Parts: sequence; structure tokens; C-alpha cells
Amino acid sequence: MASLVLRDIVKKFDNTEVLHGLSLSVEDGEFVVFVGPSGCGKSTTLRLIAGLEETTSGEIEIEGRLVNHLEPKDRNIAMVFQNYAIYPHMTVRKNIGFGLRTSKLSKADKKARLEEVAATLDMTELLGRKPSQLSGGQRQRVAIGRAMVRDPAVFLFDEPLSNLDAQLRTQMRLEIKKLHQRVGNTIIFVTHDQVEAMTMADRIVIMKDGYIQQVGTPAEVYHKPANTFVAQFIGAPSMNMLSGEVAGGTVRLGSESEIETDLALEDGRPVLIGVRPEDLYPGGADILVWGQVTVREPLGPETLIYVGTEQGEVIAKADGRNPPEVGEQVKLSAQPESIHFFDTITGEALT
Amino acid sequence: MYRSLSVRQKQIVWAWAFLAIPVVFYAVIRFYPTFNAMVISFQDWNLLGDRAWAGWKNYDKLWNDPVFWKVFKNTFVYLLIGTPVSLVVSFAIAYHLDKLRFMHGFLRMLYFLPFMTSAVAMAWVWRWFYQPVPIGLFNNFLAATGIPQIEFLRSTSFALPAILAPAVWAGLGFQVIIFMAGLRAIPRSYYEAARIDGVSNWTVLFEITIPLLKPTIVFIVVFSSIGFLRIFDHVFNMTTGDPGGPLNSTKPLVLMIYQSAFTDFNMGYAAAQTVVLFLILLIVSLVQLRILRDR
Repeated sequence: MASLVLRDIVKKFDNTEVLHGLSLSVEDGEFVVFVGPSGCGKSTTLRLIAGLEETTSGEIEIEGRLVNHLEPKDRNIAMVFQNYAIYPHMTVRKNIGFGLRTSKLSKADKKARLEEVAATLDMTELLGRKPSQLSGGQRQRVAIGRAMVRDPAVFLFDEPLSNLDAQLRTQMRLEIKKLHQRVGNTIIFVTHDQVEAMTMADRIVIMKDGYIQQVGTPAEVYHKPANTFVAQFIGAPSMNMLSGEVAGGTVRLGSESEIETDLALEDGRPVLIGVRPEDLYPGGADILVWGQVTVREPLGPETLIYVGTEQGEVIAKADGRNPPEVGEQVKLSAQPESIHFFDTITGEALT
Repeated sequence: MYRSLSVRQKQIVWAWAFLAIPVVFYAVIRFYPTFNAMVISFQDWNLLGDRAWAGWKNYDKLWNDPVFWKVFKNTFVYLLIGTPVSLVVSFAIAYHLDKLRFMHGFLRMLYFLPFMTSAVAMAWVWRWFYQPVPIGLFNNFLAATGIPQIEFLRSTSFALPAILAPAVWAGLGFQVIIFMAGLRAIPRSYYEAARIDGVSNWTVLFEITIPLLKPTIVFIVVFSSIGFLRIFDHVFNMTTGDPGGPLNSTKPLVLMIYQSAFTDFNMGYAAAQTVVLFLILLIVSLVQLRILRDR
């Protein structure tokens, strides 16, 4: 059963339309990540689901129930905020208990529920502390705990990891994923970090300027990006974009290289050729572009090389032990199956 | 010589150079007169003649002066009614004004205006409001509705509240501004989280807003307490002709000090009262800070 359905959601702030008819269906127990650059409407979408903002038009259904006109508390959701929104003057116990304030459970049941959540999150011994005595990761867990005690149909996370340092973020990422596997509730998670999206999501929703660009599993959006935006947003460093032209069953790139393709396209049509840096390497037989190495970025197992070509600068991956020197001429190759084609004008993928 | 100092020492030299002016100011304009007042409180002096040592005489006189105890009580009535009333009223105004968008700036200005007005001018306008018919605004209103006249400033029971009201009103604007700044500093997500948890507005007010405003409340309580303990200009200007009201019913400590010093020219006695006022202010402020600090 779909636990969350968005149907043609439009949101306007005064006269500015920020969401232009969003539709999406989320299955029960699914972990869906909304990702996109700032201002793409991902947080607004989350706030609409939570009921903190009202939709201009369109319908939101949670567990088969239309919730457009319901108060946040009646929507059977819980939310974890970017700044955690845990109250500094209350102990951890009171903070988590706040989520149960309006619940109809008996006092003993509430206490049992609270202890159960604390145990799940491994913070039973922290219950008596104030937030100021907790580390960033612990505060994060309190915020999650407050959401968990409500046992909602849908968990909403609004960039919850962006206030943590890099190491803790990686750790919390894993913890949230494990938690999801254990608890199994539906999660909607908003982030601007494509690594978070890739690592955690069952499905990723990539947004830009109030439109959904692509919805798919991490593998789908990585290997079959729907357009140039998705192709360049997912994966770091970004996909290289080169321009070419269709010429009888092949795509001609620059003056000398050609790529075999089974795309049925008319001759002379300009196309964009996308190659991920990790698919582009010096040497090899399927030579695509060539030029002089301008910068090297050693990463240990591999070295990124920036190569100035007649198509502009491209990034390629070289061996970590014996990378080419700066100033050296290199020829870069890519396997034909790792090459993506996009329409020059619309940016849509050509398949 | 300056060149040979380390960076840290140079910073210290500069810090003291800038601090020198306020230090001199405080020493000459604040601390010297303060200590001098303490010395004078043990002397007899009429401002022109010689100072003569009097030991504890002034304090002894004060202890046995029924007027002092009346004044002492008045001062605390100003404090104990004025501070809570102004705190609650200014919070209520700030709380609702904060939610209002329509004419927000204009209303805020209206509340702040009395704070900028001269206390003397304000006191005289209010004094005029309190006059009997046909001059006084309030008594005209009472007459129109058929309620008997109230001798606001000539009554031993109404005079003090009648003076306290404009004093509270005058300080309101400032407190409203401070409260609004405090309210604005509370992150919106706290309220949004509470909305999702579905707690009542009442719970939000008493368990989130007010506890988080505690530093603001401490500041306003201390600040307004000091103000009410030192109340003078409203009382003086609203009861000229009979300073201190009928049977000293409105007289605060500062007015008694003023009269001892500049009507009776009994500087020693005035200084002794000043020392007592200083001690009261000190104790009240310390107690408040102690109680309202984070436990």
C-alpha cells in the first residue's frame, strides 16, 4: 500500500510559484530521499507533507487518507529538524516525552514506550541529561527519539545531518539506515548532499527549480540519468560533458574520434556526450579526447587528473601509483557502454 | 621603549589607554561621591558649615523615625506592585504584537513613545487627568457614568496606585521592545516541532516560550526593580505642593532623601538614607539574580 501520495502539488508564496505540479507515490516502508540544490523546493515539499505549510493546489494522501486540511498533529507524521529543535531547558526524557504529550496512552504505557525508544537508540543512560551536556550526534538521536515515540506512519527528516562534522555525518547516516531496517517505517529524507542520497535511499527523488527531474533507485539515477542535470548532480566529481555530432551510426567527437552507437538519430544532429571521470582513463584503445595534464589531485587509491582538451577541461581518473605528470600529453579513453548521450537543447537523455 | 614590547603587551597598553577615560570618570564622578556619601552619613553637615562627626546618630535617628518606616514600606509597594504588573503587561503586549503583522511598526512606536517622553511632562499630564470635574479626564468619565468622584491624588489609599500607573506605563515601551527581541530569538522550529507534537497553545506558552525567555525576564525584572526602587520624578511632579502625598502616602525613599538634603539641609541624615537605599538595591538585585539564575 502506498503510505504517501502527492498529486499535482503546486505551492505559491505570494505570487512566486515554487512547486509546479509535483506527483509522487511512496510505498509503505520505503526510504525516499529528496535531493537537489538549495531553492529546488525539496524542503518546501517536506513542510507541505508535514502540514507546516498549506498547498496552493493538489492533494496529499497519507495512508490512503486525504490530509490537506488536517493539522500536523493529525497527519500521523513526525519530523526531525535541521537544528533538531530539542528544548534546551528540558531533560532528554522530557524532550522525548514531548512527542507523547497528546497521546491517549496511559502514564505507564507512555513511560514504557519512552524507555523502549531510548533503548532502541541506545541512550537509556542519557535520559536524565540536558541537551547542553550532549554531543552533536547524541542531540541528533534525541531528535530522532522524539519522532520515534509517536510511532508515525511517515518520518520526515529535514537535512538532519548538515550540522554535524564529516565523520559524525557518515556515522549517523549509517545509524539512520540501520534504524530504518529495524523499525521499517516510511521515511522521507531531505538533503542537498548527493552522497547521503545515494547511500541511504531506496529511491531518490532529484529536484530542481520546483520540478522533479528523476525518480529512481540509486543505481538507476547513477547509471541511467534522465538528463544532464541529474547526470552532473549525482556523482562526484561531476560528469564531463563534451559536444559531438551524429554522423551515420556514430557520434563524431571533435576532429578525430568517433563513438559507435546504436541510437537512431539523423545525421548532423548535435548531441552532448557525458562521461563520468571514473569511466575516463589515460591509455586504452577507445580514445575519446586528449590534451595536457594541468592539475593532479591524489586521493590515495586513485589520482584525479584535470586535462585541458580542445573541448575544455575534463576530469579523468588515473592510477594512484603512477599517475601522469603535470604537463604530460595524455590520451583518454572510455568504454562505449559507459558513455551517455543527451540532447544539446533540452538536456534530456537520448536512448 | 614601546617598540620593545611584545604584541600581547602592546595590546594591554592600548586596552588601558582606552580604558583610562571611563576609569577616571568612574573614579571621580561615581566612586569618590559614593564613598564621600558614606563618610557624610556619619557626620552632621548643613552643606555650608563645618562637618562634625556624629557617629551612628543619623542611623539611630533613621531607625526611630516613623516617617522613614512609612517611606520604606511605600518604596517596597512601588517595587512589589510595579515590577510584576509591568512584567506581565509588557509580556502580554509583546506576545501579541509579535504575532501581528498589520501596523506592527506603528503600534510598536506607540508603545515606545512614552518611554522617550520626559517624565516631568508626562507626570503633569497625568496629574491633570486625575483632577476633579470639570478638569480631570477620569473624573469626568466617572461623572458621566454616575459613579462618585475619586480624589485620586488627595486620597491616602488611591494616591500611590494613581502615581504608579503612569510610572508603569512609561516603562512599558522599553520592556515590550526587549521582550520582542527575546521572542524573535527563539527558533521557529521549536514551535513547528510543538505543532507536529500537537500540544496546546497554553503548553507552548508555559513550557517553551516562557522558559526560553528566562534571560530576558531576569534582565527586565532586575532593570525594572531598580527603576521602581528609585522612583522619584513621577511622585515629585504629581504631588508638588504636598510632596509625598497626603500623610506621606506616596513618598518613596528617594523623595525623602531629597527633602532631607535640600529642604532641611541635613546632609548627614540624607546620606544615611542614601546608604540604606544603596544596600536595599544591592540586596534586592543580588537576591533576584540568585533566584532567577539557572538552577
